[in-house]
Amino acid sequence: MAQNTAYIQSLISIAPRWITQLRVSKNEIVIYTKPEFVYALLTFFKKHTSTQYKVLVDICAVDYPSKEHRFEVVYNLLSVLYNSRIRIKTNVDEITPIRSVSDLYPSAGWYEREAWDLFGVYFSNHSDLRRILTDYGFEGHPLRKDFPLSGYTEVRYDDSEKRVVSEKIELSQEFRFFDCTSPWEDQANQLFIKPKKV
Amino acid sequence: MFLRRFTGPLLSAAKESTGIVGLDVVPNAREVLIGLYDQTLKVVKDQIPEQAEYRRSVERITNYRLKVCQEEEEHDRIEQRIGCGQVEELIEQANDELELIPVMVESKPWEVPEGYKVEIIEDTEPIPAHIPQHLST
Repeated sequence: MAQNTAYIQSLISIAPRWITQLRVSKNEIVIYTKPEFVYALLTFFKKHTSTQYKVLVDICAVDYPSKEHRFEVVYNLLSVLYNSRIRIKTNVDEITPIRSVSDLYPSAGWYEREAWDLFGVYFSNHSDLRRILTDYGFEGHPLRKDFPLSGYTEVRYDDSEKRVVSEKIELSQEFRFFDCTSPWEDQANQLFIKPKKV
Repeated sequence: MFLRRFTGPLLSAAKESTGIVGLDVVPNAREVLIGLYDQTLKVVKDQIPEQAEYRRSVERITNYRLKVCQEEEEHDRIEQRIGCGQVEELIEQANDELELIPVMVESKPWEVPEGYKVEIIEDTEPIPAHIPQHLST
């Protein structure tokens, strides 16, 4: 922590408007910011002489359905020159767009597509925001917490049509009657009948 | 390349390559740097308010690097004293800073309402011994 204090203070005094909260845990700095400031903040971290975070290692998203802005988008940066890493987090809901950073960090292109595909976080100004991991024609965003584990469609090979068909998933079962009485109860009553006194 | 190799000591001071992909040797790097630093200082002075910490930070770094460039003739000495890579990398960094200034001017991150305070949360939990630590320098 001690080695980071001066750095943290200078970051806060340079850009207080962009930083809503700053967390330090186990020598790692995490900066919380608003979605409208992400692009400018990342530009600052990339281009300022004393930060020089030239590598965007990853963008990922986390879904917290209980929060008002349910998605937390996380940017991991690496500065090769200063051997330093930093993490930037921001919160958005389903309809708020984030300004894409793919023109700043080319590696962001696919990461943003991934976040869009799996969570439905929308990035504005992205040159090619398509699905990246799910199948053609897929509907929904499978890493959202409200997406059912089984999905909505299933794919199987149809022998009569001689091709793979995709159809709505069928989870219906035959009606079963569950007899909830224990099979031991009757016998137990019989077993513990007190013997008659002779 | 061959010319440099065979003329030997005559041109031995000339650097053949930076060793970094896409980064070409700049023979007159010192003059380029001085020009860039002068420009940076001027742009910062014109466009960013004096009380902004960003301006102070940029002026501090740039003034130091400019001073080193003016004092030293040799590229090796400049690189040694600034300690942020080769002169060609220093040029890149100076260009980056110049590109950043308009962004800062546009969004003014130093402007905050009165009494605004960034919340700092520190986790004092010690790092378990088996976890390898990344130490920033």
